[in-house]
Amino acid sequence: MKSFMETDAAAADAGLFAALDRATLEQEFDRLLAANGPALARLAATYTNMPSDRDDLLQEIALAVWQALRRFRGECSARTFLFRIAHNRAIAHLARSRTHRAAAVEVANVHDPAPDPESGLAREQTTQRLRGAIQRLPLIYRQVIMLALEDLEYGEIAQVLGITESNVGARLSRARQLLRDLLESGT
Amino acid sequence: MSVDAELETWRREWQSEAAVPLDLRRRIERQSRWMRIMIAADILVTIVIGGGAIALAVLAPQRDFLVLAAATWLFLAAAWAFRLSSSRGLWAPAAKDTAAFVDLLVRRCRAKLAATAFGAALYACEMAFCLGWIYRHAAVKTPLAEWLLFGSASIDVVWAITLAFFGLLVWYRRRKRAELEWLRSLNYS
Repeated sequence: MKSFMETDAAAADAGLFAALDRATLEQEFDRLLAANGPALARLAATYTNMPSDRDDLLQEIALAVWQALRRFRGECSARTFLFRIAHNRAIAHLARSRTHRAAAVEVANVHDPAPDPESGLAREQTTQRLRGAIQRLPLIYRQVIMLALEDLEYGEIAQVLGITESNVGARLSRARQLLRDLLESGT
Repeated sequence: MSVDAELETWRREWQSEAAVPLDLRRRIERQSRWMRIMIAADILVTIVIGGGAIALAVLAPQRDFLVLAAATWLFLAAAWAFRLSSSRGLWAPAAKDTAAFVDLLVRRCRAKLAATAFGAALYACEMAFCLGWIYRHAAVKTPLAEWLLFGSASIDVVWAITLAFFGLLVWYRRRKRAELEWLRSLNYS
């Protein structure tokens, strides 16, 4: 049997993983999360920069992926499937935490307590600046630029967000303009 | 800069942020919490045992109690010297990436293995001194070897504790060795 990571739309049949035993399904799940762990962490970081909140979101995404895995029918790539779930969870998380936002803002501005060694400091600062700018984008632009930076094609981004490819193009163009402005202004 | 080059630059910067797996971060945080608790416990032991030994020497200024107080502080000093030297650089990773986190876990694991060896040696020295001190202070008439083996129920308890202590050390070392193997198998360093 092909690995989940190798699955493509052509090879996929309806109920692709429905018949798998639990152990095999767990292996595929682990493999999927391990391969996309850094991307998921970056995704989570665009929705919240509080470490504890980010961890909660990542756990929620993992749980949602596990619950949806048996229903995966292979109409899209595994990565698209994963990002679609992750984005849905992130939006739900954002909506839920909106009520707590006022209390959270102060904490969110606290820098991660992990150390910044001099060797990686410059790179770290550039990445932080980019991440900070992306976090300040309106949600619809934040989503599309984040997926583009994760190397997703227009078609994949459209599938993840449930919009048309032309809409992706328009949003991405606007997102880049806004991001450029934010980076240049340095705010 | 062309539009595509710009996006490519952002992409490189964006993806250069290597996320540290959640379980590694939690493991580090858990260990750090334990390290703080252990330091607090060591300070408490130093105050209670070291202070007690000094109090005893002050209240009963005989040669035996002065020797006991001096030896107690010698052992405490040795323990603290080892602790401070072995825990240097173990409080935080050198960078915020997975390799640095794994490296920290590996160094902590090695430090714990070294601590078990040191702990065993220190315990043996302390036992030798304490038993010798008690034998001399209590002016036991029984020959030393006989006293050590069949001296009293208290001596039997000491041997039982010693056996349990070394058994625990062996178990702990095996666990830490297995953890070290696992960390090495991650191939991050």
